[in-house]
Amino acid sequence: MKKIQQLLALMMLAFSANTFAAEGSGFSGVVASLSSAVDGFFNDYTGWFVSLIFKSVPIGGANFPIIVAWLLLAATIFTVYFGFVQFTRVGMSIDIVRGKYTDPNSKDDGEVSHFQALTTALSGTVGLGNIAGVGAALAIGGPGATFWMILCGLLGMASKFCECTLGVKYRTILPSGAVSGGPMYYLSRGFAEKGMGGLGKALAVGFALMCILGSFGGGNMFQANQAHAMLTYAFDVPSEYGVITGVVMAALVFSVIVGGMPSIASVTEKIVPWMAVLYVGMALVVIVANFEQIGAAFTAIFDGAFTGAGVVGGFIGALIQGLKRATFSNEAGVGSAAIAHSAVKTKEPVTEGLVSLLEPFIDTVVICTMTALVITIAGLNSAPFDGAGLTGVTLTAASFTETAEIFKYLLALAVIMFAFSTMISWSYYGLKAWTYLFGEGVTAELTFKIIFCFFVIVGATIQFGAVIDFSDAAIFAMSIFNIIGLYFLMPVVKQELASFVARVYSGEIKRFD
Amino acid sequence: MNEAGNLYIDLQKNLIKDGPKFLSHTLIVKEHKAYLKPTISAMLFCVVYIVIGFFLISLASYVYYDSAKLDLAIFLGGFGIAIGTFGVSLIQPFLKNASFDKSTGLFENSSDRNVKLARIVSLQINNKVVLRKQALNYSCFELNMLTKSGRRINIINHNNLPQLTADAEKLADFLQVELSDHCRQIIL
Repeated sequence: MKKIQQLLALMMLAFSANTFAAEGSGFSGVVASLSSAVDGFFNDYTGWFVSLIFKSVPIGGANFPIIVAWLLLAATIFTVYFGFVQFTRVGMSIDIVRGKYTDPNSKDDGEVSHFQALTTALSGTVGLGNIAGVGAALAIGGPGATFWMILCGLLGMASKFCECTLGVKYRTILPSGAVSGGPMYYLSRGFAEKGMGGLGKALAVGFALMCILGSFGGGNMFQANQAHAMLTYAFDVPSEYGVITGVVMAALVFSVIVGGMPSIASVTEKIVPWMAVLYVGMALVVIVANFEQIGAAFTAIFDGAFTGAGVVGGFIGALIQGLKRATFSNEAGVGSAAIAHSAVKTKEPVTEGLVSLLEPFIDTVVICTMTALVITIAGLNSAPFDGAGLTGVTLTAASFTETAEIFKYLLALAVIMFAFSTMISWSYYGLKAWTYLFGEGVTAELTFKIIFCFFVIVGATIQFGAVIDFSDAAIFAMSIFNIIGLYFLMPVVKQELASFVARVYSGEIKRFD
Repeated sequence: MNEAGNLYIDLQKNLIKDGPKFLSHTLIVKEHKAYLKPTISAMLFCVVYIVIGFFLISLASYVYYDSAKLDLAIFLGGFGIAIGTFGVSLIQPFLKNASFDKSTGLFENSSDRNVKLARIVSLQINNKVVLRKQALNYSCFELNMLTKSGRRINIINHNNLPQLTADAEKLADFLQVELSDHCRQIIL
């Protein structure tokens, strides 16, 4: 494990050397050189990794990434295996969230209820994936990508149900008193139960490594990058001033994850759900204000899904973009949500799985669709969909601004808060993976936290490019190890579900109306 | 459970739900006075917010005078004021000194009403796990005191148990009262 730490340190050193070697005139020149150096570094050193994760096969004129098929196939298999749990048990999920199966007299101090766990996880998933991700999907995949995002959201509910149930079932209490759970633990412990401890350990280590990379990429650099892109769009802040955005955000992230200040974490936890409400509210205003265009927007979405007009690779191209961005947004099958959900206080792991399956629905089916409607209604995203025009957060922001100028300021506020909270969440996921590999300890944890903060600055400073490809690849790579584990352990989840449902129907588990 | 007249007091119950994940204060005893001193690291983490807030406000002023971008200036200034104010509110509890003064015979802190030292019955150490929604959960410890009227008041609240235990022993010795450990196993 020390070698991995040394490798990461070496990467940082090599990157710094490239940076300082860059030449440029003035501040803009230096930042442009730095950006180019970082992009070049990632291209040179991680290009092979990106190519490997996104290895594609040609289908219908488009290159279909195998990893996307891997996630889609898994979600379909889980949906069938659990008897379409996302549709048949949705009533039970809502009842659990409403506390119908929780004794109102047994609530202890400090308990994280199912409802709290859901709002927490939602505030972690509702973020730039819904704003920038949808913008990127539609810029390259056209309006039709929305349909495939919705389908991916619906199927992904079963993946999330499976992984979050396992996250709680195989969680552990560390010597510090901290609850630790997630794929690292269910892969190692679950496989050990089946007499395949070696394989489980290997998968857990692989997942933890990818989770660390994912926390630096999609959970960090992408967030910082898009936060500054939003400032550039809303206020004409030159893109080279991203280093200032990065330093300010890194200092705040540092104070939270290194300082352990309880107050700032509490404030973030309270503000972010309101930012989600603000975002949904703005989207509703745009949709209602353009009510007469909703029909045409849905027609464009459905037509585009199957014709792929103007999209490279036709409908397959639209499908790929829809599936990729939906997975990036709702994280179903990736395994990250299982880490967050494992901290809930419950005796029944399956209840947390049932609660978690609502997340892809709210995140992707509802909120991503709203963003897609806003973009489609605004009409700024036109064929050919090659990503050459507005894309990512700027396409979404420009579409909102078509209805009201003030929305770009509110969106800037929401984007910064979402980026900040997502970075905090992913620092938690990354740290869990880091402590799984290197153990709990002040030095090991501080090393991770400092590297994490360093990448905040890097992310805000550089331009879109190889870094974003790397961010994507690392998050998708997590699903390789996670889904292998889910296939082996899904009978455990099925057993838990059957047992819970039987006890509810027999009255052993009481309902409190 | 302890009985004081008809009043039952649960000495195992924590008084504060939250708590910092670092050593926030140490106890200093000087002749007739024992008081809590904030640690430098605790102060530094609060200062980060004040510095960032001040920086953003300065940047907002610069942007306004340099390029007259009012919207950006308001945005930066607003964030600066919010973060700076937050930093000031964070640092205030660290600046309020709690003290046990034998010359006046009083315990003083800024949040509770003064207590006569003679009315302090005992000290207790309690533990808890602070559950964070978006971060690692962690253990935290409280040093609390019980008065003759059954009131419980928090004295120290941080996550460094060895330091808290040492300070608690020092304070119990200073006040000549009983110190008891009420740490319990917490199963999440």
